[in-house]
Amino acid sequence: MTSPQRARRRPTRRQLAPYLLLAPGCLWLTLFFVLPNIQMFLMSLSEGSVKQGFELTWAWSNYTEAIARFQRQFGNSLLFGGLATLTCFLVGYPLAYGIAFRGGRFKNLLLFLVIAPFFTSFLLRTISWKIILGERGPFLSLIHGLGIVPDNFSILGTPLAVVAGLTYEFLPFMVLPLYVALEKIDRRLVEAAQDLYAGPWRPGGAVLGALSGAALALISMSVLGYLPLDRAADVASGLVTVALIGGALGALVGWFLISQSFIRVIWPLSLPGVFAGSILCFIPAIGDYVNVELLGNPKTQMIGNVIQNRFLSQNDYPTAAALSFMLMAGILVALFFYARFLGTDELTAAARV
Amino acid sequence: MTRDELAARTVSRRAVLQGGSLVGVSAFLAACGGGSTATGAPASGGAATPAGTPAATPAGPPTATGPLNFANWDAYIDLTEVGDGEYDLPSPTLDDFAKAHGVEVNYANAKIEDNESFVATIQPQLQAGVSTGWDMVVLTDWMAARIIDSGWAEAIDPTNVPTAMANVRDELKGMPWDPDLKYHFPWQSGATGVGYNVKSTGRDLTSLGDLFDPAFAGKVTMLTETRDTFPLIHRYLQSQGKASDTPAEEMTTADAQVVYDFLKPYVDNGHIKGFTGNEYLQDFGSGDVWVAVVWSGDLASSGGEDDRFVYPSEGSAIWTDNMIIPKGAENKYTAELMIDFVYDVDRAARLANFIYYISPVKGVEEAIKKLDPEAAENPLLFPPADVVAKQIPQPAWDEETEKAINELFASLSGV
Repeated sequence: MTSPQRARRRPTRRQLAPYLLLAPGCLWLTLFFVLPNIQMFLMSLSEGSVKQGFELTWAWSNYTEAIARFQRQFGNSLLFGGLATLTCFLVGYPLAYGIAFRGGRFKNLLLFLVIAPFFTSFLLRTISWKIILGERGPFLSLIHGLGIVPDNFSILGTPLAVVAGLTYEFLPFMVLPLYVALEKIDRRLVEAAQDLYAGPWRPGGAVLGALSGAALALISMSVLGYLPLDRAADVASGLVTVALIGGALGALVGWFLISQSFIRVIWPLSLPGVFAGSILCFIPAIGDYVNVELLGNPKTQMIGNVIQNRFLSQNDYPTAAALSFMLMAGILVALFFYARFLGTDELTAAARV
Repeated sequence: MTRDELAARTVSRRAVLQGGSLVGVSAFLAACGGGSTATGAPASGGAATPAGTPAATPAGPPTATGPLNFANWDAYIDLTEVGDGEYDLPSPTLDDFAKAHGVEVNYANAKIEDNESFVATIQPQLQAGVSTGWDMVVLTDWMAARIIDSGWAEAIDPTNVPTAMANVRDELKGMPWDPDLKYHFPWQSGATGVGYNVKSTGRDLTSLGDLFDPAFAGKVTMLTETRDTFPLIHRYLQSQGKASDTPAEEMTTADAQVVYDFLKPYVDNGHIKGFTGNEYLQDFGSGDVWVAVVWSGDLASSGGEDDRFVYPSEGSAIWTDNMIIPKGAENKYTAELMIDFVYDVDRAARLANFIYYISPVKGVEEAIKKLDPEAAENPLLFPPADVVAKQIPQPAWDEETEKAINELFASLSGV
């Protein structure tokens, strides 16, 4: 009776295979992710000093004190990380779209160019931003030459420099998932949509573009701190000007570029890429500290800088651990809601309709 | 349509999974970054007890092992001319050492940007009693004291450093934390004062008050070392009658609070652009920083031709950086050879004349005069009497005061 035995054993081996394949990854994650995190969690509830050693006292006050004291830096992280993700999306979507739909035989070359910056150290790349945005850099020389800004206007040490650095750094993380999503779209669907009278969408596109352009302009100007919020009289006029400029630009883009087949077919089908791309950008961006270190000033410090300072300068391991944990928990909660509202299951369901 | 659906689903799943693993990777990398010095130097099998070995094997002289892992600050070693007025590593002194002893030097330039954050990278290893990967580090007096007090420094065998013993300047002996130079030898001394780029400022500066000239708004930086910045600004406030006349070495938390209250508005309105280590060397050149609190020799040795250092009229701070062999160093004997090597008068003269700091070696004045008659007049190498009279030492804070003042400083720098 060998055949039933073989029949029984074969599925077992097949059942086992995935676990065996998972084992190295799981082991790696346990050793280098789970265990350090447990240790970090215990540290976050300890008290003491480096000299006397740390003792686990379940000091939950580490958390409350840290959050009370470092609200501003948490805020900076969310704002700068969020804005950088948004900017990455705005730059990355057209880029990915262009490569996927119009890349032709240059597709691979273009994709290579997107990831080419990774061949240099990211520290060097951030330092070169210091030169690009610096006082004698090309950018400032140009706008000083045009005379559109006051003489003492500088970009280094402002939120703009930080957001620019973050955007640059994480752009490939946005472009690649978007490209994958767009590339998979069946072109026949677009043709079918066009056959079914999904043509240009000028009024709708213009309105949509104007609204998002205005909103985006307002968000970025306020996050970057360029709105003259200290003088009440200027606020209204400032807001209106910014919104008008953003709206006008958005309307132009919308009028010419947003077609019905895009809004009804391509956009919904690319949403999984948008989802993955924004997560890949946002998570490292809010935890980043190198950009602020090199491009920011004392007022633009993000939570990563606080954690670094607590760990390396103040030797205050518990607070640093508590902050790291809160950052992680915050990201998880945000991800949960994000997945809930833009959840992948619903996205694929939307694509089916 | 199911195939497309499936494709979309896998894409997003995979992308999300990638996201997860990327987070893991970055966490791992971050963890590595903190402790990279541990893995920086390959730990050989027999490295567990390098300290005791010379004593344990009395027969036969010790041999130089290497490479010597040497961590130092930026602009703190002589360099080779590589072009018109351009200098770069390798350093002639280190090359000569390699030739003399047949051991390479693995010199980590600018590895140390400030005492606290460098020591934080080696502290876990020191506490655990394993090698830090470094054979020689250069730390400022107060940090050297802390390392030695904690028992984290290798004792230097006096028979291996006869030149250094004979040549060290007398006033550098007798530090309360290591009076007989058992654990450290001074590397260089220097001052903290005001540096500026004369092209940017358009005028010569003379005082600490110039740091707060509204014309330089947004172009001013100060040092991340609390002990550099706070006492110096305190000195300025004293000269303005805005602070108590506590001597610098006894500066209290209350004094630091006064300094904080004075500086805070300048940080808030952007006048002070930030707090840095040696990075000002680059920022002066790019025009992003015009005026800064700096260390004395850096700009002369590594700055541009328009960069100037001035001993402020209100006073400057004086300090000494010291060579220390961290506990568990794998090439302790080689490190001792290095200490002895740089205490040779002629070599010390060449080094000091290049980096523009104050050499700890007796008789170096004569040697420098022979080397470069002009340098004998250089106030960086030989501070004039009126400057010395106004110099303040770095404060000696107990742990509690230090913690409180560091907290003040952190909140000033926005973290």
